[in-house]
Amino acid sequence: MRHELRLTKINPNMNAAVVETIYATTGSALKVGDRLCDLSVDLSSGFSQYCPPISYFRVVVREKVWLQKLLIVPGGSYDVGQLMAVFSTEQDDPGEEAPARLLRITTAGIAHHSGMWSAGDR
Amino acid sequence: MTTLALSCGPLEAEGYVIRRSGMHWLRDDGYVCRPNEVVGFCNISLEQASGRRSGQLPLASEMELHVAFAPRIGGRLRVSHGNSPGGYLNNLGLHVWNPNDVFGYLEDASHDEAAIADPGELRLLMIAGRRMSGLADTNIGILPGWHSRSRAWWCDRPGGDLSTLLCLGLCDAAGVVRGNETPFVEAFEAIPSPAQFVYVPDHPIVPCAPILLEQLMRSPAQNETLAADLSAALNSGSVVPNADDWMFAGALLYSLQNSPMRDKYEVLTPTGLRNLGPADTILLSMAAEVRSVLRHKKLGYSVQILRHRQTAAGPAIRSWLSSAFEPVKRTVKDVQRDYRKLIDAVAAQTGARVVILNRMSTSGYEDITSYSAFDAPLGDTLENISAKEMNLMLHDLAEECDFSIVDVDAIAADLGGSEHLPDGIHHSAAMQAMVRSEIMHILSTADHTTSN
Repeated sequence: MRHELRLTKINPNMNAAVVETIYATTGSALKVGDRLCDLSVDLSSGFSQYCPPISYFRVVVREKVWLQKLLIVPGGSYDVGQLMAVFSTEQDDPGEEAPARLLRITTAGIAHHSGMWSAGDR
Repeated sequence: MTTLALSCGPLEAEGYVIRRSGMHWLRDDGYVCRPNEVVGFCNISLEQASGRRSGQLPLASEMELHVAFAPRIGGRLRVSHGNSPGGYLNNLGLHVWNPNDVFGYLEDASHDEAAIADPGELRLLMIAGRRMSGLADTNIGILPGWHSRSRAWWCDRPGGDLSTLLCLGLCDAAGVVRGNETPFVEAFEAIPSPAQFVYVPDHPIVPCAPILLEQLMRSPAQNETLAADLSAALNSGSVVPNADDWMFAGALLYSLQNSPMRDKYEVLTPTGLRNLGPADTILLSMAAEVRSVLRHKKLGYSVQILRHRQTAAGPAIRSWLSSAFEPVKRTVKDVQRDYRKLIDAVAAQTGARVVILNRMSTSGYEDITSYSAFDAPLGDTLENISAKEMNLMLHDLAEECDFSIVDVDAIAADLGGSEHLPDGIHHSAAMQAMVRSEIMHILSTADHTTSN
């Protein structure tokens, strides 16, 4: 069975998010509680004339899956609704099989940390 | 129908002539205004009265000086256009202040008229800004340009003390005090009693407790040593400073060498100039209590600069921050210790009371079912746990120190955090109004008003 990770609205005012850290690798098995990635959400859409309203979030898997395709890179900006990764419930790649549903995840606000993509740019 | 002439009323500075510019209307003719709503402003300046010996003019360091006008009662505004030459000349002090000058009229005045002694006399809101540099002279609107300090006060007739609230916070406090539309105007419409609000920006240095304490306690000799060290670093470093570096260095040095908590104030009133002592109340943001500060390896002083402010520095300043400073981690206990020291020092040095905005600690979007994905200690990783730990620390500290907490956490939970405090630091107007109201309640119940 195929599941997808798409960027959903963590905040009602957000339009996009930047991938800050990726923890999972293609082909790996993920269990409940494993980290997928960290995101930053800038409510000024990256064009901040003032103090930027940026928040950071961690995305964590809530079910046992295999990561088949990773479509994101650190520093990449992704729109709400955009496909970020494809998973399967079995180790074998389900190919172009229609997705059964979105992947079940947990999202939590986190502090900025030195492993993030944005920590290396200044 | 009642029509009231709106006169500017008395404003005095003994020994000086007060001059004003033409009127700059902020509301159109026909606008229905509320009581105490600012509808226009003038620039003002002081000059020596004839025969008086020349010397330092009052308020000379505040090159932005405006008086904003608010009708005391609501009604339909009728604007007089006859007293202004317009254009650039409208910014200049071409008119001597005359309390009988009429700027406009109020039609359909509200029935509160009978309850007010001089309903047609406009209420005066004084607004003053001290420029970060004399170069920052953008002469458009209220408080244009870049200010190291700005302030405002209702210029009411004497009859009570004028207390001063000094804001040394981040955006959560700045928005409440200075507002986000016309500077100070939103806040003062909601303040019925005489008070002075002072705002000092959070750039370039984060106003966290250890930095504020060092500002307060630093001696003139230490200030000179610090300036000499910065100068030497920029002049002899391996990176040639560019324009951004020098601008940043100037602002940084200004922040390090001055403690706004010691500032005294001159205020204009309808009966003359008054001198006020240091602020009675200091408003801080707990969000400014970052978990790591930079400590100068040789001189031992602290700085911290928000990440988005660091980009304003040039390569030489960034290189200096990397090489001359070392990061020092702060635990929750460290923050508590720093707050305790600051609150005690402020009480001893100026007698001011401290008010602290706590942090939003909940969010509706979180659905954590396991903490295994988050490194321990969780307070260093998860924002909501960090905020909860800090809020608890603040309440523990309140058991032993005399200061007040504004419960931003509870207000945001009541209003709805995702709509009114989406990133935990920037408030909606409704949120600002509630926090402002809570601060005014604390000020009104605290027995700390002083007059000098």
